[in-house]
Amino acid sequence: MEFAPICVYLVISLLLSLILIGVSFLFASSSSLAYPEKLLAYECGFDPLDDAKSRFDTRFYLISILFIIFDLEVTFLFPWAVSLNKIGLFGFWSMIVFLLILTIGFIYEWKKGALDWE
Amino acid sequence: MILFSVFSSIALVSSVMVIRAKNPVHSVLFFILVFFNTSGLLVLLGLDFFAMIFLVVYVGAIAVLFLFVVMMLNIKIAEIHENVLRYLPVGGIIGLIFLLEIFFIIDNDYIPILPTKLSTTYLTYTVYAEKIQSWTNLETLGNLLYTTYFILFLVSSLILLVAMIGAIVLTMHKTTQVKRQDVFRQNAIDFKTLSIAQKITQSDPK
Repeated sequence: MEFAPICVYLVISLLLSLILIGVSFLFASSSSLAYPEKLLAYECGFDPLDDAKSRFDTRFYLISILFIIFDLEVTFLFPWAVSLNKIGLFGFWSMIVFLLILTIGFIYEWKKGALDWE
Repeated sequence: MILFSVFSSIALVSSVMVIRAKNPVHSVLFFILVFFNTSGLLVLLGLDFFAMIFLVVYVGAIAVLFLFVVMMLNIKIAEIHENVLRYLPVGGIIGLIFLLEIFFIIDNDYIPILPTKLSTTYLTYTVYAEKIQSWTNLETLGNLLYTTYFILFLVSSLILLVAMIGAIVLTMHKTTQVKRQDVFRQNAIDFKTLSIAQKITQSDPK
């Protein structure tokens, strides 16, 4: 089928990543692998005072949700672009209405400053 | 046939590993593996567009959202030492109900092993639309989605709008006001029209 190059690509990338991980396992001496002092967090030589995780900023989550929304909008644009000669004027205008509805949300998001960072 | 068994077995094993993994990041990674194999199964079905959209939307956006939630919750691995059998009765019943629901969907004629279809010829599903002229998956989808089913399409746009506005309303609060520069106002400042106090503060080299 026409997906044979994708299969070849997958096999090669899998082999490459396995080689990269496996070679480091092969050539590392077992005494210099993970002993407890090596795995500790580094805090300028002191003992680790606190857990490394700081408070999570919700703005990351908002960015990824907005990415999903606009990504789905682009996903709907793909079949429309390919079949535009068959669906005629009605199909064209239905997509324009879809884009207008999402533009309303986009204007709201812009005016609210949802993606602004301090 | 071999590709189907490879994809489906890896998908089933990694979906079991999603709930069995001790580290929550590992279970999100197995989740991503489930999506990859499902996308491979879709390619085998001839739905190439949906396979790519699975990868883009599911792995690229939804699995990333799961990863953000795992990061937010700050789960330490040592805290998870629960008794697995505690959830077995109720969870088993719900799992069994989901499994039985599959039989509502599958038409019995398509399964060659069931007693209703004991013939030796393997049943193949013929896509008659393909035999007339070969359209790509994108074209067949686009032909119907924007004309015959345009109401569903516009409803989906409303759902996306609700999701966008809901996410912004829920996560924005007063402290996210940003100090911005007003470039036009700054450019319009004329030295002659400034007041004395402004002139003093403006001539201050700091």
